[in-house]
Amino acid sequence: MEGFALAYAGAGIGLGLVVIGAGVGIGRLAAGVAEGVARQPSAASQISGATNLPLFLLEGVAVLGEVFCLLIVLLK
Amino acid sequence: MTPVFAQELVVDPHAVIEPGKFDAGELIIGHVSNTSLQDPIIHLPRVFGIDLSVTKHVLMLWIVAAFLFVTVTWIVRRFSRQEKPIPGRAMSALEYAVEFIRDSVVAPNLGKKHATAWTPLLLTLFVFILFANAIGLIPLFDLLGLADHWVLHTGDHSIVKRMIHGGPTATGNFNVTAALAVITFGAIIVAGTRVHGFVQHWKNLVPRGLPAPLYILLVPMEIIGMLVRPFALTMRLAANMTGGHIAILAILSFVFVFARMLGTALAGVGVGIVFSVPLAAAMSGLEIIIVLVQAYVFTLLSAVFIGMAIHAHH
Repeated sequence: MEGFALAYAGAGIGLGLVVIGAGVGIGRLAAGVAEGVARQPSAASQISGATNLPLFLLEGVAVLGEVFCLLIVLLK
Repeated sequence: MTPVFAQELVVDPHAVIEPGKFDAGELIIGHVSNTSLQDPIIHLPRVFGIDLSVTKHVLMLWIVAAFLFVTVTWIVRRFSRQEKPIPGRAMSALEYAVEFIRDSVVAPNLGKKHATAWTPLLLTLFVFILFANAIGLIPLFDLLGLADHWVLHTGDHSIVKRMIHGGPTATGNFNVTAALAVITFGAIIVAGTRVHGFVQHWKNLVPRGLPAPLYILLVPMEIIGMLVRPFALTMRLAANMTGGHIAILAILSFVFVFARMLGTALAGVGVGIVFSVPLAAAMSGLEIIIVLVQAYVFTLLSAVFIGMAIHAHH
């Protein structure tokens, strides 16, 4: 029973860490975009276009982490 | 967005909920997972040891494919039969989607020269994933369940009863997205082979002109990287589609959790009106964006990976 409880705790803590990491990453990306657009408003579409790919790659890593946290709970 | 089962929606405000009747985890899993092979919608024989029975997700894949084939063919044929080539509303929308994929997804990544060759594949992926995602937002089978509960009254093992179990989002199944990612994986190899030749494509994976010991480290890394890309595509799409549905169902489950906790159905209705239903509606709005973005992301990343195989400058 204690093993189960620890597994649940691990999944919860892991999910929290994943969210912290992804949040920091996306936040930094958004800050960079905002700064870039503020300095160079005419390049807004180019800047946001260039941020799409790293944003989705980052999101993919975060989603992978969440899936594994979910698997810990479901497969216990 | 699958609302909770018809059976659970029937709430008598004065009824006392007996404990142990409602299990949120089981309900949520039942609503996002496929139907089991033991009780499929259509029984089919085993071929080479593979059970070909049609489950919910296979049925949804067929529905999406048939719907897209019929609609797109019908729109284009009607347009080509017209006297004057003026696109109607449906044709304009279709042209916009085609031009969007060709000009802002395929062309910047693959280059103008290869864009026309690879647009059909990526456009098919985009439209198919978009509609397979979007059909999960329409509570078709829950309406069927309601109709079955109030009007049809079919037996326990009728086809209607079998159809209302399981989630309707085929792209929320890892097997479906894995198959789609395998198509991308094959396309990467085909694209590289067509431009550089078969041997040169594999040589392009690692940079040229490094000291020999580095290759011991580099070759396994590049092979892992090659396999991780389709794996990440698989996980991203399936996890996003499943995750949104789980969140909405968890929020809606609060109605029943609170009703059981406080011992009266009235508490559940209160929580539902104040908290669950508005939040679930907002999440559904967010899901519409996610449906569009995930179809776009899958197509964009496929285009980027194919473009990397074509423009390998090492």
